[in-house]
Amino acid sequence: MKFRHAFAFAIAVVASLVLASLARADDKELNLFAWSEYVPQSVIDGFTKETGIKVNYEKYASNEEMLSKLLAQPGQYDLVQPSEYTIEALVKKDLLAPLDKSKLSNLKNLAPEFTKLGHDPEGKYSVPWMSGTVGIVVNTEKVKDEITGYKDVFQPKFANNIVALDDARELVSWVMDVKGIPVNEVNEKNLAAVKPMLGQWMKLIKVYDSDSPKTHFLNGDVVIGVVWSGEAALLYKQDKKFKYVLPAEGTHQFIDSLAIPKGAPHLDNAHQFINYILRPEVSKLVSEEFPYTNPNAEARKLLTPEQLGNPASFPTGSPKMEIFHDIGKSASAIDELVTDLKSQK
Amino acid sequence: MTPDINSNPATATRRPGVRGWLLMTPLLAWLFAFVVAPTLIMLVYSFCERDDIGQVVFTFSLDNYRKIFVPQYYGILAWSLGAAAAVAGFLAFGFYADESLSYKLFDLTGMTRRQLIALVAGAAGYCAMREQVYAMESGGNFLRILFISVELAAICTVICALVGYPVAYFLGRASESNRNKLMMLVMIPFWTNFLIRTYAWITILSKEGLLNTFLLSAHIIKEPFDIMPSTLAVYIGTVYTFLPFMILPIYGSVEKLDNSLIEAAFDLGAGPVRAFSNIIVPLTRPGIVAGILLVFIPAVGMFAINDVLGGRKVPLIGNKIDTQFKSARDMPFGAALGIILLLLFAVAFFLTLRKEEKN
Amino acid sequence: MAVRIPRGMKLVNLLLGSWTSVVMLFLYLPIIVLIVYSFNVSRLNVRWEGFTLAWYTRLFTDPKNAPLIESLKMSLKIAVVVTVLSVILGTIGAWLLYRYRFPLPRLMSTLIFIPMIIPEIIMGISLLIFFVTVSSWGNLLLRTMHITTSNPLSLGITTVIIAHVTFCFPFVLIAVQARLAGVDPSLEEAAMDLGATPLKAFLYVMVPYLLPAIVSGALMSFTLSMDELIVTYFTASAKSQTLPLVIFGMVKVGLNPSLNAISTLFIAATALLVVAAEWVKNWNK
Repeated sequence: MKFRHAFAFAIAVVASLVLASLARADDKELNLFAWSEYVPQSVIDGFTKETGIKVNYEKYASNEEMLSKLLAQPGQYDLVQPSEYTIEALVKKDLLAPLDKSKLSNLKNLAPEFTKLGHDPEGKYSVPWMSGTVGIVVNTEKVKDEITGYKDVFQPKFANNIVALDDARELVSWVMDVKGIPVNEVNEKNLAAVKPMLGQWMKLIKVYDSDSPKTHFLNGDVVIGVVWSGEAALLYKQDKKFKYVLPAEGTHQFIDSLAIPKGAPHLDNAHQFINYILRPEVSKLVSEEFPYTNPNAEARKLLTPEQLGNPASFPTGSPKMEIFHDIGKSASAIDELVTDLKSQK
Repeated sequence: MTPDINSNPATATRRPGVRGWLLMTPLLAWLFAFVVAPTLIMLVYSFCERDDIGQVVFTFSLDNYRKIFVPQYYGILAWSLGAAAAVAGFLAFGFYADESLSYKLFDLTGMTRRQLIALVAGAAGYCAMREQVYAMESGGNFLRILFISVELAAICTVICALVGYPVAYFLGRASESNRNKLMMLVMIPFWTNFLIRTYAWITILSKEGLLNTFLLSAHIIKEPFDIMPSTLAVYIGTVYTFLPFMILPIYGSVEKLDNSLIEAAFDLGAGPVRAFSNIIVPLTRPGIVAGILLVFIPAVGMFAINDVLGGRKVPLIGNKIDTQFKSARDMPFGAALGIILLLLFAVAFFLTLRKEEKN
Repeated sequence: MAVRIPRGMKLVNLLLGSWTSVVMLFLYLPIIVLIVYSFNVSRLNVRWEGFTLAWYTRLFTDPKNAPLIESLKMSLKIAVVVTVLSVILGTIGAWLLYRYRFPLPRLMSTLIFIPMIIPEIIMGISLLIFFVTVSSWGNLLLRTMHITTSNPLSLGITTVIIAHVTFCFPFVLIAVQARLAGVDPSLEEAAMDLGATPLKAFLYVMVPYLLPAIVSGALMSFTLSMDELIVTYFTASAKSQTLPLVIFGMVKVGLNPSLNAISTLFIAATALLVVAAEWVKNWNK
């Protein structure tokens, strides 16, 4: 092969790569940016089979992580799955595309209490995916004490036996609940008040995990922890010894929704996907794999009594619950605080 | 050790003509675009700020560096230098007072008096600094994490060197056919994806894992070791990952050793310890230095092993930088951290180069 | 195992030998564990419950493992392109440095050497910042010039390939340079004396001579690209998930025998490559 030819070939390869990335977005694709452990492969495969649209599923483990990537790469993602307070932030900065409700015929399947939510009262930008709480899981086989709240969890007797979410905002809010500070009042004064107790708690935690805290329970690495309700429900499903307790001091309810970022390359496909998951039989698939609180009333009708009776999925009673709001720049202050405490001996 | 990528004076006799420059352009353009430019842009970002949702704001600000270099550092620096000077003075006095002790010590370690004093004084200063940094109430974040990371990297490097040197020596001096077979055995883990190798340790180290099951059933221990996840697991995983990186360069040096020198070393009847410390180890110094660089530098920036084996408990500098690009949404701060790490790395690298050239 | 130590040092010999065996065991224990447990029926991975090949078949048939296989294909695609580009850049670079005396040699050698030794996280974040900046301004430019209405420039396969090539080609360059150091300079001259153009001399005389070094550099590039995690972690996107990235995500979620199965396949492939590299080295002898 002549040298000149080789050189030209190389240029051609590079040029074609550049052009390929410049080429108009493939119409039969969907860039889904969602939580890890939240979208079943069966749902994605079913969607692809029916519509022929290829789904590129990228994952994240916290709202902050999602925001970070979304801001750095505008116009890349078709669907994101933010929690309520993140939607507030996104709407404030006009980063979400309004939904075309004419393409979402299945919206009627949603339970009425999920249609007029605080962060998106007219349902203009988002469609609820799943709701849930953050609470305590206890391995009742190994722990015989009565656990009612955070204070019971973070005791020296459980040192090096606790799992907690790897989420700075969550950690801080638990201490705020114990101290009776409203979880959305994140300022210097409150953070200083929270710091000593949080520092003590953190010394007792064995592992931080937001992706799959249930693994550590199943491995026998921990006996108690504070996790997402869906993880708790999965544990309960596996073995009823894993009891879910909503902390008496208070917790927060979260609602994760699907939303379309402004400048999404495949607007139509995104709407198709949303309408697809609003179908009761598809929503049921999500509940089966990730048993959070399903906002789809029609889907609930398809769930078994056992699934409906899982106390982690569908909690009873009226516990003290707050809802997170957007706290803007204070997010990095919280992060600094938690990293600071993590690095202390 | 540093491959001399320069033009070979024996053959590179011509100055490049138009064709030479033309052919070189793609390479130069690539280097400029993807090595120089990213570093410059990162430098620019480090002086920027983030707005409240996390986007970058291009205003000049020293805030990021102020967050890293807290004023308390001056006090700590002064204290540590003072401690180091005190120890150095004490040692110097002791050595010059008792000549015989010093000679025995130097014989054993092969270092000059000045090197030994510098080493011990440096260690004392480091300990003093460490004490202070850990005691800092707030703002000590960055430095603390840096200490933890450097410590982890340094300890793992030392362990790798101690564990790996005998192996490298054995391999280097083995007969030709055996050598190739053994080297292949070392290459296979070296080229296997480190994540896969790290993941395997989860199975071995967890509470109901292999290690505990074995030890419990053999009645060596009563309670299972609770080390997965833990900092100890991270140390084990790091040493495991980087061991081949230490063995290979040292092997390279050992292989080049002149056989007659080795024979002479052992024949002089001074005993194997002397032969090694006074002759063989110094001769293989290039390999050791290469191994140290190949292990220490990546280990400082490492965060994946910490994530998998460490339960995200103790953040390393790699984790902190990673967080800035994820949940903290503070790219400028992350860029600043990156620049600092880059400077440290550059300093370490050039210091080592200068020493090598002196030899 | 005859280590060339004079007699009388048999004890030292023995100690070194046993220590090496212990360390080898340490190096291979996790690998053996991975392989053994990939045949384990039990999902929880610790109790041995029986031999099965199910995890291997599930690897290719279970839809849950589709991302794994997809990412394997993606990694292979990327590795091939990276190797080709690295070989071209590295070989040309080595030959030019051999032939000509360029100004600022120290600077150039440092620049080439940097990607090899820089901590991967620094390379990752600097490339991320670079690509983000270039793509956002580039997209803006393209939109204002009305060439396109969307945002075509982004992180993706191209950025991953660029990142990989940047630290892979120095390895090829060094391998080829080492081989060039031992070449007889009159070889090329002879060819040209016989009437060949400089280009022909290069292609038909130099390249065959350099082939072992090129192949060894290529093998190195390929492996480095397949293995790469950290830099890819920062420069990839949803569409360009490589195998190490997917494994990293799966590892964070917990133990999974399918991971064992694909790891075993990976290890087998690596072993084959190592043997192949040995064989190539012996070409010259």
